[in-house]
Amino acid sequence: MIRVDIVRPLLIALLQVRIYLRDKAELAFSLLLPIAIFALSYGAFGELQFRGTAYVVNEDQGGAYSTEFVDRLDEVDGVKVDLLSMVKADSKLDRADLLMVLYIPEGFSDKLAAGEPAQLVFKQRGNGGDEGQIVASIVRGVASEMAQEFQVRSQVGEALAGSDIEQSVIDITVEELLDRERGNPTVTVEEDIVGGDTDPVYEFLPGIVTMFVLFAITLTARVLVEERKKGTLERLLTTRLSVGQIFLGKFLVNLSRGFIQTLILLGLAYAVFQMFTPLSFIESLVLAVIFIAAVSSLGLIIGSIARTEDQATWIAVFVTMVMVMLGGTFFEIPESGVLHILSKVSVNTYANDAFKTIIAEGGSLADVGLQMGVLAGVAVVGLYLGRSLFRIMPGGR
Amino acid sequence: MAEAFLVAKDLHKSFNHIKAVDGVSFTIDKGEIFGLLGPNGAGKTTTIRMLSTVLEPDSGDVTIGGYSVRRDADAVRSIIGVCPQELALYEELSAIDNLVFFGRMAGLSGREAREQAMSHLKLLGLVERAKGRVDKFSGGMKRRVNLAISLMGHPQLLFLDEPTVGIDPQSRNNIYETIEGLRDKGMTILYTTHYMEEADRLCKRVAIVDGGQIITMDTPRNLRSQIGPPEQVTLEDVFLHLTGRSLRD
Repeated sequence: MIRVDIVRPLLIALLQVRIYLRDKAELAFSLLLPIAIFALSYGAFGELQFRGTAYVVNEDQGGAYSTEFVDRLDEVDGVKVDLLSMVKADSKLDRADLLMVLYIPEGFSDKLAAGEPAQLVFKQRGNGGDEGQIVASIVRGVASEMAQEFQVRSQVGEALAGSDIEQSVIDITVEELLDRERGNPTVTVEEDIVGGDTDPVYEFLPGIVTMFVLFAITLTARVLVEERKKGTLERLLTTRLSVGQIFLGKFLVNLSRGFIQTLILLGLAYAVFQMFTPLSFIESLVLAVIFIAAVSSLGLIIGSIARTEDQATWIAVFVTMVMVMLGGTFFEIPESGVLHILSKVSVNTYANDAFKTIIAEGGSLADVGLQMGVLAGVAVVGLYLGRSLFRIMPGGR
Repeated sequence: MAEAFLVAKDLHKSFNHIKAVDGVSFTIDKGEIFGLLGPNGAGKTTTIRMLSTVLEPDSGDVTIGGYSVRRDADAVRSIIGVCPQELALYEELSAIDNLVFFGRMAGLSGREAREQAMSHLKLLGLVERAKGRVDKFSGGMKRRVNLAISLMGHPQLLFLDEPTVGIDPQSRNNIYETIEGLRDKGMTILYTTHYMEEADRLCKRVAIVDGGQIITMDTPRNLRSQIGPPEQVTLEDVFLHLTGRSLRD
């Protein structure tokens, strides 16, 4: 029976952790890195609700309806109204400081009061920009709502003309009915999300996690080379430690370090974006551990063949970039063709698929068995290959 | 006749077709300090790396304590200690943490490792700095920590590869006294150095190596007497006489 002495690999891992904890700069950087990456993600995806500014020139100064229109526009969630003078607005449009401005012409309220049609005018550069188009759409919605209410008031007024009911009573009743309609609309729109959330953060987070974990390739690769450079690796080789135990120790320390960093990253995503259930969070962590194991093994392969820290770093960076590119982190890999075939050699492909299934599509570990199997296989084969390469490289055993 | 603890037979090792060690054979008796001297690139460190199981010889064999480095490398590793030429320690950690860690790797329990660590640190005059970070130590103190690590596990054969390079006379003297004490307790030691007076003082026999081969091997006194009256000739004179005065950078 093969008896594996796990105590000494654990002692090696513990030693490395102690060294890691004593290097305050490395400790701070490695723990702050996932927080920084999360903060960048939050900056990019955190504000998912639209926020825009409606630039308005109100030439209908003091008009009741123009004032009501501006107030209503200002009440729309995510829209801020910025009132400008005509001169300033034109100047900003000329300089392309603004792409779209809404003009409320003089006499707007008087025309409406007289029962005549009134117009709002958009002035825009090009198509007005994405934000301008969304704001324009909101402006049209508010204008349409006001027009409908105006019609209701005038039609009720016409229908009750000549009756004994006082005009003030009619106005109050109509306003009460309109308020009730606004508060409890007859027609509502509900969102029914099928197959997971389509928010960008759900699409991008898996890629961010896998790319972040891939940094472990460089760290693992350097650990062996640094030990070699310090002379401690050769010293360890003259003790009763087997090379396999040294590898296992280095593997364990990178696994635990990568796990802590990923825990921070996913934990922040859980807390801030509320994008996990407790179960999917745990499943994501399990998946992360298997992926970190695969990546650490790849790092050990590089560490076995690299002679200097620079070599280790550059080989690791090259491998990381290839994995990221082929793994579909930056761009979608087509479903067929050469790129699709090449993508199968990247561990990122399997990790991205699995994380997307769990995070974005509401799947479980049972749905990503193949991906987990491939990653676990890479971890085992990587450890074996790293050990074998170490045997045949100069200075190895 | 003394019992041979280490027997090296016709060792060969080449790197990229360049012969680093070319037919080296010698024995070291139990309890003997044996000096391996030679200019830079002579093959001393390669020889030690083969003897200590780090490198596999291309041909030839070594037995240490009856175990072959080729067939019983694990058994060999359990009875040797190596103090490498370069400082091989974790400078971010304390002296005692270094010793305890390497003690555990040598197969000691936690308690044994701590006890031996304190004992060796005391022997080398470092007990008061046991908990100090090694990167704050002087060069001499680091050298002594390097030596103390190699004593963990009470090896029967100790390889000391230039253990006194670049240190002050006090630290050097402390190391000499430690080595003599270890010899008196029966430890077998293979010692390499560039300081000839060191070899003269410590070694019972020395081998001078050049070009990967042993060119002479005897007691320091007998070697001195080969080129003149042994009281007037130094081992350095013998060394230069045999290896020449040309630079070996």
